[in-house]
Formats: sequence, C-alpha cells, structure tokens
Amino acid sequence: MSWLSRVGARLMPAERRDWAEAVWAEAHEVPPGWPRLAWRVGGMRLIAREAQMVRRIGTLLLFGSAAGAAAWSAWPDSSVSYAATARADIIGTVLLLASLPLLARWLLGPPDNRMARWLRAACYAAILALMPANAVIQLFIGTVPRGGIDLRTFDTFEGHGVPGSISGGPNWAGEIAILLIKACFLVAVLALTSRRTQVAPAALAIGAGAGLALGAVMYAVAPLGFNPKFPNRPWLHGSAVDLFMVLIWILLFGAPLVAGAIAGWRCDVPDDPGEASAARARQGFAAGLVSGGVGALFVTVLGTGTTALLVKSAWVRDWLYHAPHLTASAVYGRELFATQDVSGYFLLLVGFLLIGLVMAVTGAGIANATRPLPDGGGSGGPGGPPGPEPVPVPPDGGRRADAGGDQDRLLGRYDDGEGEGDQGPPGLVGAGLGALRGG
Amino acid sequence: MFFSTYVEFRVVKPRREFSPQTLSVLAALYEHPSRWQHGYALASTTGLKSGTLYPILIRLADRGLVEACWQEEPQPGRPRRHLYRLTADGLASATGALAASAQQQPSGRPTAAPGARHPSGRGVAAPAVP
Repeated sequence: MSWLSRVGARLMPAERRDWAEAVWAEAHEVPPGWPRLAWRVGGMRLIAREAQMVRRIGTLLLFGSAAGAAAWSAWPDSSVSYAATARADIIGTVLLLASLPLLARWLLGPPDNRMARWLRAACYAAILALMPANAVIQLFIGTVPRGGIDLRTFDTFEGHGVPGSISGGPNWAGEIAILLIKACFLVAVLALTSRRTQVAPAALAIGAGAGLALGAVMYAVAPLGFNPKFPNRPWLHGSAVDLFMVLIWILLFGAPLVAGAIAGWRCDVPDDPGEASAARARQGFAAGLVSGGVGALFVTVLGTGTTALLVKSAWVRDWLYHAPHLTASAVYGRELFATQDVSGYFLLLVGFLLIGLVMAVTGAGIANATRPLPDGGGSGGPGGPPGPEPVPVPPDGGRRADAGGDQDRLLGRYDDGEGEGDQGPPGLVGAGLGALRGG
Repeated sequence: MFFSTYVEFRVVKPRREFSPQTLSVLAALYEHPSRWQHGYALASTTGLKSGTLYPILIRLADRGLVEACWQEEPQPGRPRRHLYRLTADGLASATGALAASAQQQPSGRPTAAPGARHPSGRGVAAPAVP
C-alpha cells in the first residue's frame, strides 16, 4: 500500500504532498489491524480529495468520449483520396490535445481558477468540433458534384479546383502547416491559463468577452468565408454590411487594445513600481491575446460549421441562399467557394493572435501610462499606508515552524509530556471553556 | 380604510465559522497550545478519522491558524512524524470560536463531531472540548 500512497501523493499538488506523507508516517503509531487499515484508507481518501481525483477522472472521461466521438465521426473511408492526410490530421489533433496539457502542467503548472479551466474546455470543445465539420467539407471537396451542374462554369475561376477534377497526391505540407497552427494556438491557450503565468481570472474573462464580441461581428459579416465573389451573408443587406465591416475593423484592433488596457488597469499590482508595471503589462498582454484567440476560434468554428451545414443540409442551403431563386449551378458555385475558403479560417488563428499580441502590448502601455504606479502603499492604491509584509509560501506543505516570528514558540516541545504553560489562557475564555467542558 | 404593508425582518443566523469537527480539532490543539501534537493523538482526542482530520488540519494551516513541522528526531525505525499546534492567530480564533460555542450551548454539552468514533473503532470518542 506504501507504493500506492507514493503514487497517489505524486498526483497531489506539490504543496500538499507533505500531508500525504504525514498520514502515512502516522499510520505506524496506530494499532495494527483494522484501525491501521482504516487510518490508511483515510489517507487514501485524503489523497483522492486533495488530488481532485473525481474531477480529474471526470475530465479524462469527458475528453476521451468527446475526442472519440469527434474522431469517429470525422474518420474518412479508405477509398477516398485524402484518407491518409485526414487520418493524420485526426490522430495528430487528438495527440496534441492529449499531450500538450501534460507538458504545460509539467512546465507551467495546472490551471488554478475556474475561468482558466472554462477557457481551456471551450478551446478543446471548439477544436474537437472542427473535426467533423472539416470532414464534411473535405468529403464535399473530394466528391464529384451532383448531377445537373455545369462544371465548365467553375473551371475558370482563379485556379480553384473543381471536385472530382483535382489531381495529384495528398497535400502533406498543408496538413503539417495546419497541425502546427493548431499546436501554436493550443500552446498559447495552455500557457495563458497555467498557474505560473499568473494571469488573473478577470484578465481572462475580459479577453474572452472582447474576443466573443469580435467573433460574433466577424461571423455576422463572413459566415461562409471571405470570398469577395460571393459575399455569403444573406442576413445582412445594403448599408448594414458597410456598418458591420467598419465594426469589424474597429473590433479587430480595438478589442485587444481595450481588453489589454482594462485588464492592465484594474489588476492588483505589487508595491514595487517596477513589478507593478510588469504585472499590468502581463495582465494586459494576456487579455489582448485571449481576445484575439477567442475571436479567431469563435469565427473559425462557427464559419466552418455553417459551411459544413451548407453542403450537408438542403434546408440550410435554401435558407442561406433562397435557393429556389438560384440555379443548381449557382448554388453549387457558392458551396464550392465556401468550402475551399474554409482553410482561410486557420490563418485567422495565427493572424488574430498576432494582432491581439501587438494591440495588447499597446493596451497594457496605456494602462501603465494612465494609472499611476504605487509608491510603496498597499496593493493597487497609490499613496496608501504601507501594506503588510508578504507571507512566504511554504515550500513543502503546511506552515513551517520557522516561518513564524515567535522564537519562544519555536522552541516548543513536541514530546508527549505535560509541560508548563500548556494550559489555555484563563479568564473569560477559560470560563467559557469551563462551561463547555463541564456544564 | 387603511391598507397596511408589513415587512417582516428576520434575523438570519450567520453561518458558523467552524464546523463541529473543526471546533473539536481546535479544542484539542487549544488544550495544549504550545505543545506540538501529532495526528494520531489529535484523532484519538477528537474521535475523527484520518480522512476527516487531515483535511481539517490542511484548511486550518492554509488559513494560518495551525502551523506544522516535521519531527526532528524520529524514533529509531520509525518515520518522522508531522506535528501541529496553533499559531497566535489560531489561538485567538480558537478562543473566540470555543467561547461562542460555549455560549450557544448553555447546557455545557461539549462540541463533539457528530458520529465521531474512536479511530480504533471502539465506540464513540470522548468529548473533544477541553
């Protein structure tokens, strides 16, 4: 059972492992037999509780089932020409999703707040949702079109390939590039939501809110890609499109800027001006990066999903294009361009992050410039009274005896005998305790 | 004819700061505030099982009410033991909490963890409050 406890203790946070060791060491003092076994079972309960085993197992099961379902629905038949690259994409994506959090946990620590966990979960759900949507789109692109469509109409368009007419082998370079983009995106999300990067939940929330606003407006304007030949925005007409386009440009640069400034402005900062400036920069930077990433992921998932629905469901086609008014070839042309432009969304995952990064740095600079740095007062309050000394974090569980300032108590006995001064203080409390004790 | 509106204000009892189990641990530590005590002794005194006692000690240590250290000179052939006692803040908190608990129970019945049994499994533990 000892090895079991050691393995279990490794699952606990580092600052808690001493406690697992303490329970196990104490078991030697418990009478052998059932009492000792019960003590050790209690120790295992402690490990399970502190290691958050239930949540970990639940998360693992949830991820496993979601990844399995996504992979199963996206897994291509071996008869299709792109089977090798599509399968590599599925396997690579699942491996990235499974392994990168372990690496991030090892290097940067686990997420330590609810917002960080939610952000990670949303990112994972979005990336998994892209798998079946991309599978539908790939199937459309790799299949000869429905009957009654004049293929010559599309052969001349800007070098786009027409389904059934694409030649050549699998596009491994493109596949590797997409996997790299996914990996970079995941690394950014995992790093921002890890404990050691010290991004405040508020900064993550501000960034996510700004990103959702950006993504929603972007999706409203370009729900089916960015091909100028087919605007593909049936719900926006006339001047509304121009208004939304202006809003997109404002939000694209403004959302990370404002998110970075607000997050930097409102974060708690240490007393040291240099550290305070760095803390604001860190929070602002993180919020801006999150806003760009969330915005890109939001519009990528919704855009890819809408495109998949467009080619998969007749009612979506009819609803988006009022298809009865268009010929089959015209509808097909729109579907073709929408599906072939889907890969452009992946560029957003990088582009938005870069824009978010640059604008967030600017936003954090604005926060530092507009809010005075503390001059030795309490946290966040310029000119306040000096705050208390920071309490050092004990390295190995519990509060170390030598962390206290009372040297007399440091010399306290840990023998089992009664000593002088061991009784609680007399007086009112003593009387109260006397009442507790004897009635 | 007058219509009256009556607004009833009820005094909502504040949430207790410490659970009965935590109070029993505080009381056990409070009995000998300067002495380092080990887990089994606390479990014997309070009647709490290890799976209940140690999470309480962890929370108390997190709040700075209990300090912990490792035994410096372990008995030969035995592992080092983890030892606990109240900090100055813990002493003050325990004093207040135990006094408040005493006031809430004028009959003087001790605050024992409900259902607490001796770790050996033999019967209900002795009252935990000094």
